[in-house]
Amino acid sequence: MTPAFDRLLDVLKRLPGLGYRSAERIALHLLVEKPESLESLVAALREAAGSVRPCTRCGNIAEGELCAICADPNRDRASICVVEHVPDLIAMERSGSYRGLYHVLQGKLAPIRGVGPDALNIAPLLERAGSDEVREVILALSNDVEGEATCHWLSDQLAGSNVRISRIGFGLPSGGGVVFADPVTLKSALEGRRDYL
Amino acid sequence: MKLSTIRLQNFRNIAEASLEFGRGRVFFVGANGQGKTNLLEAIGYVSALRAFRPGDNRALIRDGAGEAGIGYVLEHERTGRSEVIVRIRLRGKEATLDGEPVRRLADYLGRFPTVLFSSGDIQLIRGAPAGRRRFLDLHLAGCEPGYLEALQKYHRALEHRNRLLKEGGAGSALKAFEREMAPAAVRLIAARRQAMEKLGGLVEAFHGRISDGAETGTVAYRPDVEADSAEAFLALLAKNKMRDVQVGSTQRGPHRDDFAFRLGGKDAAIFASEGQQRALVLALRFGQLRDVRERSGVAPLVLADDVLGELDPVRRERFWAALEDDVQLFATGTTLPGNAGEGQWQVFRVEAGVFREA
Ligand SMILES: [Zn+2]
Repeated sequence: MTPAFDRLLDVLKRLPGLGYRSAERIALHLLVEKPESLESLVAALREAAGSVRPCTRCGNIAEGELCAICADPNRDRASICVVEHVPDLIAMERSGSYRGLYHVLQGKLAPIRGVGPDALNIAPLLERAGSDEVREVILALSNDVEGEATCHWLSDQLAGSNVRISRIGFGLPSGGGVVFADPVTLKSALEGRRDYL
Repeated sequence: MKLSTIRLQNFRNIAEASLEFGRGRVFFVGANGQGKTNLLEAIGYVSALRAFRPGDNRALIRDGAGEAGIGYVLEHERTGRSEVIVRIRLRGKEATLDGEPVRRLADYLGRFPTVLFSSGDIQLIRGAPAGRRRFLDLHLAGCEPGYLEALQKYHRALEHRNRLLKEGGAGSALKAFEREMAPAAVRLIAARRQAMEKLGGLVEAFHGRISDGAETGTVAYRPDVEADSAEAFLALLAKNKMRDVQVGSTQRGPHRDDFAFRLGGKDAAIFASEGQQRALVLALRFGQLRDVRERSGVAPLVLADDVLGELDPVRRERFWAALEDDVQLFATGTTLPGNAGEGQWQVFRVEAGVFREA
């Protein structure tokens, strides 16, 4: 339409979940229909970009050193639930059936896409699992080939620490990730977790 | 199972067709290139939502059209009247079963089995192992629960392992993917062994009925490796790892499996004549038909692409004798079969993608 509008569209439609049509609607909304909302959006983006960062302990989003969950004294510090990404953590929280801590791996092993152990947030997890207060590590990774292989790999990595390792996935659709499961399924997946060998 | 109606839109050279089938034996007659095989292929598409000739979706969509559509009305032994609608686009396809979208192929495969007899079947004997593996995989994906998932899992994990081997195979991730491969490999080998033992017996029986020679014809599984436990397969991978790293890919495993056709104890690919080879693949298709029927309780639709014409009268007689009467048969040919006058065939004449009931 105009060079600047086209550049904006180009940026917007690369965002996850946005196709060309929704990018167009958002761009027109911000520039023409409700230009007054633009300022607050830019301000909110700028502020969030300046303050939101990964929790140094678990990888969840945080504003200080620690995220709200790690900082919450009422959470059960004996168990760590390992998830691939922050949306998986949010799905687990929404199920309301877990009161422990998390660890966000920031992905899963996928050599054909160039994702190896170095790309994963693993060192802080090994450190945490080695501490005395942690007794169980729950693997809540997707049950496709990459998720399962990552579980094998994690259990090898954790072999030196004195923790129980368990795996959810009971009832999860094959090939699916935690983020796609409804709260009821997640609750039973968590309750039905099995020792992982 | 019976196909009572098929409707086509822009499928290959067929702009529009709506055919109703009554009798159990249907014949499509016409010169080559008119669309007989295209219709047979459209019928076969209902089984696995894929075409039996290779090529991408573009080849399935009539020139100038945006998409192809096929609608089926089937009478099924277990589920009664079923309706399947398929839309094929340049990118991807969609299918519905009784109005419900088909989301996972694994849930759908095997519901509507078909068995294709084709003049190209002789390549199963003469061609490379990949063709025989494809036959076995398609057969088992349709009638062995869990087989398709094990196959997909094995190949996906194999791909990851091969990438790691190309990078030197040193990291800690290699073992993790091997542990995913191992149980899937054991599952594949066991399912293939069991199926090939059964098919071997069936091929032997049908071959005895079809051929006139005294020699025994059969098929035998040729696993690339033997592994009856995940531990055994992991040990094999460990043993072969050095060589795998040198070559940059996994050299041994069920992805290299094969099976052999044997006639009188000898390898039929080398020692059998063309006629003997044709009798063997015919026996394999009859064996497949019987195996699917026994496992699923569903009688597959039989598709015979240009095969009746190449059989001599004696063999053709035996073909009919081997085919169960209640099986619905769809056959093609450039001329009507010899017994066409006896009123047991429903005949369609095919010209330039247009079908007329004769
Ligand atoms: Zn945290």
